[in-house]
Amino acid sequence: MPGRPLSRRTTLGAALAAPAVLAGCDIDPPLDESRSSSATPPPPEDSELVAAVVAALARAQAVLAAATGAVPSLDARLAPVAAAHVEHLDVLAGAVPEAELPTPAPASVPARPRDALTAVRRSEQRLLREVRAGSLTAASGDLARVLASIAASTSQHSAALAEVTP
Amino acid sequence: MTTLDALQTTLAGEHAALWTYGVLGGRTSQSATPDLFDALTAAHRRHRSRRDQLRSLVEDAGGEPVAAAATYELDGPLLRSTAVQAAALAIEVAGVETLIALVAQSSGAVREWALTEATWSGTWQLELGGAPQTWPGAPELD
Repeated sequence: MPGRPLSRRTTLGAALAAPAVLAGCDIDPPLDESRSSSATPPPPEDSELVAAVVAALARAQAVLAAATGAVPSLDARLAPVAAAHVEHLDVLAGAVPEAELPTPAPASVPARPRDALTAVRRSEQRLLREVRAGSLTAASGDLARVLASIAASTSQHSAALAEVTP
Repeated sequence: MTTLDALQTTLAGEHAALWTYGVLGGRTSQSATPDLFDALTAAHRRHRSRRDQLRSLVEDAGGEPVAAAATYELDGPLLRSTAVQAAALAIEVAGVETLIALVAQSSGAVREWALTEATWSGTWQLELGGAPQTWPGAPELD
């Protein structure tokens, strides 16, 4: 199906443009003319939150990349986590202006397999807390739902990593 | 849909989940498949507490909690332990979907509760033979 990533961004873009319709009645509805295409920025009350989660995902990706660089044998275990975060980032980054997309600092990860894995587990737990906090404070109910799914995914991948022995 | 509607939908799903877990537990041998038995027992406990929580959340929201049906449909005879495990996994997959819908329709303490339970159901899938997904509960994003 062509344009799937675009349609996913459109889903989130539309959700972010009209949070009050779907999210309940505790917030003021945004102006209707603010609705447009996939390039729709999040409503002002959520834009900082989306940028923070995008930065958190980018940081977690940097740790995964550093771990694979330091211990190439971990690649098979970490690749599914990294692939999931690429998808998560792809949906959220569509709602953040290009200029505000973060460039995370390169992460430093120990070269011993056990320590590298510990660094990744800690990083994923931190990401889980950050995504969870985003879901709890999002004004848009649909954004909260997307972040809840990312939190559940991150928790699943963390549980799978917990069973890995280096 | 209001928060109350979403709570009632979630409660109705929990009634079905509890009933099904009861049946699955009855068809699982503790001596032959102890890991599965333990996973089902822990899940049954979690869902019972979830149902009780939902009843009070519905009441707090001014509603009358929906009642359980007398019986629910099972997908096949579920005679083998692999089929039992798959049925339990399906409960948790559906649970994440319902719970993150509740996340969208709520705020504050209800949203926090729904998020915690959605994360639990997602993670418990690994105990039931499931694998990590990219968009648990939100298949339209896959």
